[in-house]
Amino acid sequence: MILFFLMSGLFLGWSLGANDASNVFGSAVGSKMISFRKAAIIASVFVILGAVIQGAGTSKTLGKLGAVNALGGSFTVALAAAITVYMMTKFSLPVSTTQSIVGAIIGWNLFTGNPTDTSTLSKIVVTWVTGPVLGALFAVPLYILVSRFKKRAGIHMILFESYIKTSLIIVGAFAAYSLGANNIANVMGVFIPAFNLEEMNLGLFRLSSSQQLFLLGGLAIATGIITYSKKVMETVGSNIVNLTAEAALVTVLAESLVLFVFSSTALSNLLIKVGLPPIPMVPVSSSQVIVGCVIGIGLYKGARNINFRILGEIAVGWIATPVLAGLMSFFSLFIVRNIFNIYVGGKISPQSETLQVMTGTGDISQVMKYVILVIIITVVIATVYYYMLERKKSREFRKSEERFWKYIK
Amino acid sequence: MALFARTTKQTIIKIDEFFDNIDLGILVFREGIRAYIKGDTESFQRHLSKVDALENSADRLQREIENTMITHSILPQHREDVTKLIDEMDEIMDGIKSSLNEFDIEIPEIPECLFDNMISLAETSANAAEELIPAARAYFRAPHTVREKLLKVYYFESETDKISFSIKKKVFHEMHELDLAHKAHLRYIVHHIENISDLAQAAADMLSIMAVKVIL
Repeated sequence: MILFFLMSGLFLGWSLGANDASNVFGSAVGSKMISFRKAAIIASVFVILGAVIQGAGTSKTLGKLGAVNALGGSFTVALAAAITVYMMTKFSLPVSTTQSIVGAIIGWNLFTGNPTDTSTLSKIVVTWVTGPVLGALFAVPLYILVSRFKKRAGIHMILFESYIKTSLIIVGAFAAYSLGANNIANVMGVFIPAFNLEEMNLGLFRLSSSQQLFLLGGLAIATGIITYSKKVMETVGSNIVNLTAEAALVTVLAESLVLFVFSSTALSNLLIKVGLPPIPMVPVSSSQVIVGCVIGIGLYKGARNINFRILGEIAVGWIATPVLAGLMSFFSLFIVRNIFNIYVGGKISPQSETLQVMTGTGDISQVMKYVILVIIITVVIATVYYYMLERKKSREFRKSEERFWKYIK
Repeated sequence: MALFARTTKQTIIKIDEFFDNIDLGILVFREGIRAYIKGDTESFQRHLSKVDALENSADRLQREIENTMITHSILPQHREDVTKLIDEMDEIMDGIKSSLNEFDIEIPEIPECLFDNMISLAETSANAAEELIPAARAYFRAPHTVREKLLKVYYFESETDKISFSIKKKVFHEMHELDLAHKAHLRYIVHHIENISDLAQAAADMLSIMAVKVIL
């Protein structure tokens, strides 16, 4: 039953992976610096790690926007957001899962008659603007720095690109971690108030109820990355602007910094200690940040090679996503409540807290343990298989070369 | 990652080696023509076999570089340009080999009054190709200097044209003692020598565009 209600969240996670992985490795794959296969594996692993280790901060903020207080409600809200993201992805538009889930939650608030917390909403919406601006602000100086280094160092182009490639893998891993940490709230945030799972002991570490949800969400994102993100990656990487290798590195680095800034509670606490205002823990739209980075670099280079038609399409997606998700959520809730007779939540009053919490038995923890074991075994088998395949290919290639030179002689 | 760095360094070494081969080939071409004109057959044959070995080595390196660049996804965005450049430069090597072979097979009879002009033609044509090498090397390390380095290629190419024009004019207008077949043969040989600078210019045109693409 738990897994059934989580289905819509997992679907949303899958959509997020299919769509937002392009923001992590799109520029690298689009510029052909890294193969899609390698990018997908790295992104999947680090998204899961980011979600489980650092996903709590942004989830709280989303909970404040609208505490969906029934499983049916969580299910429907996540489903509406997921369908919206899926539809936008189908048209190869880099869409924001953040906007989708925010639109869907507002749809739930409107349906149930709950007020929308305007201060939280404005905080989130402000990041929709500051995210890309900050991305551009990070990207331009970084780009100048890397370009000047390249020019002054007189380093061989091939060696420089090999450094860039290695850096892209490292920075991409960091970006994937930040994406998992920042965006897992979009996937599993609406389920946290409605779920209370037993703490899971894995020997080396323990997973709390929300972390178990984040792990499931992370796995769904990873599935989305592996199965469906290739097309969107190519759109982001090569269609907006022709990215050079160093520009590809800088966009990913700038994006990961922005995502990290908006999801690091440690950094926020540090600022408070210094006497500065805290950073809001808000799920940022990675799609918007990456476009901000790309535009920043494009403008610095003279805006000659920016494809404004694609930017226009993306902008339409930004406006359409929350509106579409809100409408979808509202009408889905109507159908679920009136046709399927499922309770989707009601007005929250300060006196009576009508939270319908699903408490998990020990069974779900057992299932999770098996899931983790299966994943580890699959990863090991896949790695060995991949290694053997690569060896076989290179051996065959070497033989064919030897034959070629033999016949030439 | 260490394995990858090794492949990268090996590719860089191979590209440098390829350029060294072309550079040596040009040097041997120049000396080969001089030896032929001066009638030093032994030295000419030595240069001919040297060019043959250099051309073989260049072909092998070219194939290895292209294979490594594709299989290890090296310079994905500029790979096509780099392989085309290497191909164009290999054409120069092929031109050198075929030119010296023409001398070996057809044994053109060069009148003594044209000795200096022919040597000068070979020198200038070889100079044009020679000036291409530093520009091609610079493409990988300092692309913004490529275009200024290429100026010399264009200069020597135009000088080669002038010398070739003056030789042909001399052969057809002043040397009435030669029969038409001899004149046509000399013109053909002049074309062959001149061809080296033309090939260098074609490569320079390409390199110039490649450099702009990298800088912008």
